[in-house]
Amino acid sequence: MTLASDAIDTASIALRRRVVPIVRAGVLAREMCRRGGRGDVAAVFARSLYVRIGDEFLCIGEPGIGNGPLTLIASARISGLGLRRGQAASIAEQCIVIGDLRFDLDRCETWRRPRWPGPIVRLGDIGAAIARRAATQSPPDSLAYALFAANDTPLARIARPRVACFAAWLSEQRHDSSCPAQANAVTSLIGLGPGLTPSGDDFLMGALALLDAVGQTKIHAILAQAVTDAAPTLTSPLSACFLRAAAAGHVGESLHDAVASILVGNGDAAVAAARRVGHTSGWDMLAGVAVTLRIVGS
Amino acid sequence: MSVIVNEIRRATYLDSIVLMRLSRQIAALPGVEEAGLITGTAANKDILRDAGILGPEGETAAPGDLILALRAIDAAAGAAALAEAKRLLDRPAVPGAPVSADSPRTLRAAVRDMPDANLALISVPGDFAVAEARKALDLGLHAMVFSDNVPIAEEAALKREARARGLMVMGPDCGTAIIAGLPLAFANVVPRGDIGIVGASGTGIQEISCLIARAGRGVSHAIGTGGRDLKAEVGAITTLMAIDALDADAATAHVVLVSKPPAAAVARLVLDRVGRSAKPFTICFIGAADLPLPANARAAPTLKAAAELALGRPLATRPLDLTSVQTARGGSVRGLFAGGTLCTEAQIVFIAAGLPVASNVPVPGAATVNGATVGHVMIDLGDDAFTRGRPHPMIEPAVRDAPLAAALADPGVGVILLDVVLGYGAHPDPAGHLAQALAGRRDGAVIVASVTGTDADPQPRSEQVAKLEQAGVMVADSNADAAALAMALASPAARQRGAAAQ
Repeated sequence: MTLASDAIDTASIALRRRVVPIVRAGVLAREMCRRGGRGDVAAVFARSLYVRIGDEFLCIGEPGIGNGPLTLIASARISGLGLRRGQAASIAEQCIVIGDLRFDLDRCETWRRPRWPGPIVRLGDIGAAIARRAATQSPPDSLAYALFAANDTPLARIARPRVACFAAWLSEQRHDSSCPAQANAVTSLIGLGPGLTPSGDDFLMGALALLDAVGQTKIHAILAQAVTDAAPTLTSPLSACFLRAAAAGHVGESLHDAVASILVGNGDAAVAAARRVGHTSGWDMLAGVAVTLRIVGS
Repeated sequence: MSVIVNEIRRATYLDSIVLMRLSRQIAALPGVEEAGLITGTAANKDILRDAGILGPEGETAAPGDLILALRAIDAAAGAAALAEAKRLLDRPAVPGAPVSADSPRTLRAAVRDMPDANLALISVPGDFAVAEARKALDLGLHAMVFSDNVPIAEEAALKREARARGLMVMGPDCGTAIIAGLPLAFANVVPRGDIGIVGASGTGIQEISCLIARAGRGVSHAIGTGGRDLKAEVGAITTLMAIDALDADAATAHVVLVSKPPAAAVARLVLDRVGRSAKPFTICFIGAADLPLPANARAAPTLKAAAELALGRPLATRPLDLTSVQTARGGSVRGLFAGGTLCTEAQIVFIAAGLPVASNVPVPGAATVNGATVGHVMIDLGDDAFTRGRPHPMIEPAVRDAPLAAALADPGVGVILLDVVLGYGAHPDPAGHLAQALAGRRDGAVIVASVTGTDADPQPRSEQVAKLEQAGVMVADSNADAAALAMALASPAARQRGAAAQ
C-alpha cells in the first residue's frame, strides 16, 4: 500500500464517521482531552461508557447521568452507538475518535463544581436525620444500609468497625490536626464493598466533599493525601481516578447538590440529590457525609 | 459437602445495578448457599472471606478485577451454578445491543422504510426530545414523546406548532397509550371496543382500560397527553385535540378523561369542549371537587368509578374471606405504590371515608409525609425523588424491597397496601419478585394488593394473582377495592377481632 492510498483510506474513513456532539465537559475531562493520547473503551453501560487513558478514566454519558468532573455529556443515546469494550480510542483537544464515531468537543461548555453555599445556615441534627432516612430507604446492599440499619451481613460486620475507626480518627484530627493520618483509619475503607465504585470509596468521597464544604481545610488535606497515596493499590483503577478527583476538590454535580442542601438545612433535597447517583453510590456518599458531619458539624 | 467456586474476570467493570442484579440471580441458583460478585480489592476479599466464599483463585484477583465467588452444596451444583453465572455475565451489557445494521438511524430513514407510518415514538434524553419531535412533525408524523425533563415552555411551543399542522403531540413524559388496539410504551393488552380514554396519567389509563377489559368491554383508543397538558402554561392543547379526535371517531361511543385536577381556567376550557359533544363523557379529575359539568358528563371520584360509569354498570367485586385475617398489630396502613395515580386514588378513598392520610404526593386534603409522620401513609415510589438515576419500580420491583422491609418491621403498621402493574414495559414477573420478598415473613402486617393487568398481558394477570395469593397476599379486584379493604382491616373493630383470634 502506498502512502497516497493510505491517505485516501484515512480520508474516506473520516468522511464516513458519525459525529456525536459533546455538549458539556467536566473540568478534568476537558483537561485530559487537552493532553490528548491513546486509550481504549474500558466499559460500556446502558447510558454511559468509560474510556481509559493510562491510569485515567473519562466517562462519556447521556445528559441524564448528570455532570461530573470526569464526565463528557454527549447528545446521543449511548446504547444505540454500538460501542464495545476494548475498542481503541484516540483523544485530542477537539474530539475523541472511537471506530467510526467522532465525539466532537468543538462547541461544548466546561462544567465546574459550583461554589459551596455560605454562610452555613444550620447543621443541627441533619446528619442523624439522614442516617435515619438511610436506615429505611437506602438499598439493602448499600454501605449506608449496612451502617445505619440493624442488619448482620458480611459487609456490615466488616464495615462497622472500620467506619468507627475512621470516625475516631476524624475526631482526633479535629482536636489536633497536626497528628498524621492513621494508616488503617482511612485505607481500610478504600475498595470496600459492592458497586462500580466500591461503597467505601463513595463514603470517602462524601467525607471529602463535606470537609471541603465546611472549610475544614487541614483535615481535608490530610484525608486527601491519605486517599491519593493509597487508592492506586487498594481500589480499582476507575474508582481510584474518581477518588483522586474528589481529593482535589472535584466532585460530581449530585454530590455537590447533596452537600450544599445539607449546608442550608434541607435534608430532603440532600437525599433527593444523592438518589440520582448510581444504585448505591449516592447513599454511600451520604453515609460518609453523615458520619463526618456528626464529628465536625457540632 | 459444600464447595467454594471462584472465577475472576480480569479488568472488568460492570454497572452497579447490573452487579446487584447478577449477584442476586447467582445467589438464587439451585444448590447455591452463598454468592457474591464484587471487585477484587483487598477490602472486598475480607468480605468474601468473612462470608466463607473466598478460595485460592479469588485471592489472586487484582483491584480492577471482578470476583465471582459462590459456595454450593456439592461439586455438581457448583459447576452448574458457575456455568449459569458465566452465561449471565457474558450476556450483552447493554440492553438490546447489538443494534442491527438494518435499523434506521434517523426518523427520515425510518419513514423511507415505512412510508405509511403516521406516528413516531420519541424516547431520547430530554435535552433532545423536542428537536426529535420537531423532526417528526416535519415529516408529517404525530409524536408520542416518552422522554421527560423537557421545559414546560418548550412543551407548550411544540404543541402549538403541532396543532398548527393538524398533528398531535402526546407528551412529553407520556408513558402510556393504546392506539387502534396497539399498546405503546407502558400499556396493557386490552380488546378493542367503544370506550375512548384521554389521560394525563399513565397508570390511570392502565387501571381504567384493564377494568373495562376485565368487565368484557374494550377500548377504541387511549390517548396519553403527558402529565402537564392540563397546566395553565400548556392549556390542554393535546387533551382538546384528543377529544376532537374521539368525538369524530365513529368507533368511540363514550369518552373517559383522566387526570389530576387541572387549573380552573383549563378545566373550564376542557369542560366547555366536552359540553359541545353529543357523546357521553366520564370526567375523572382525581381529587377535584365541584366541577361545573355539562349535561353529557358525569364525574368519577376514582379510577374504578370512572370504569363503572363508562361501562354503565357497577363492577362485580369478588368476596374475600376475612375471618382468618389477623390484624393485631398497629392500626396504620402503609401504601407502597409503583403507580402514581394508584397512590392518588388510595388517598382519595381514605379521605372520602374521613380518615387522615399523608403522602409524598399529597392530594388536596392529605398531609405531606415527613420523617415524623405516623398514621396512614401512601408513598408513590415512582416519584422523581425515588427514581432519579434508578429504574422505575414498574420496571425494577426491587426498588420497593427496602420500604417494604421497613414497613414489615414497623409494629405500628397493621396493613401494607401494594399495587402490581403489568403489561408491556413492566417487569416480567413483578408478583414473583414480591412473593420472594415476602417469603419467610412471620406473622405481621396484613398485605393487600391490586393487580392492574389482563390475562392477555405478557405477564398473565391470573398467574400473577395466584403467585401473590400463594404468598399470603390478599388480592382485591381493583386498586380502589384494595384501598377500601386495607382501610377496613385497619379499623379498630378489625384489630379487635384480630387480637381476639390470637
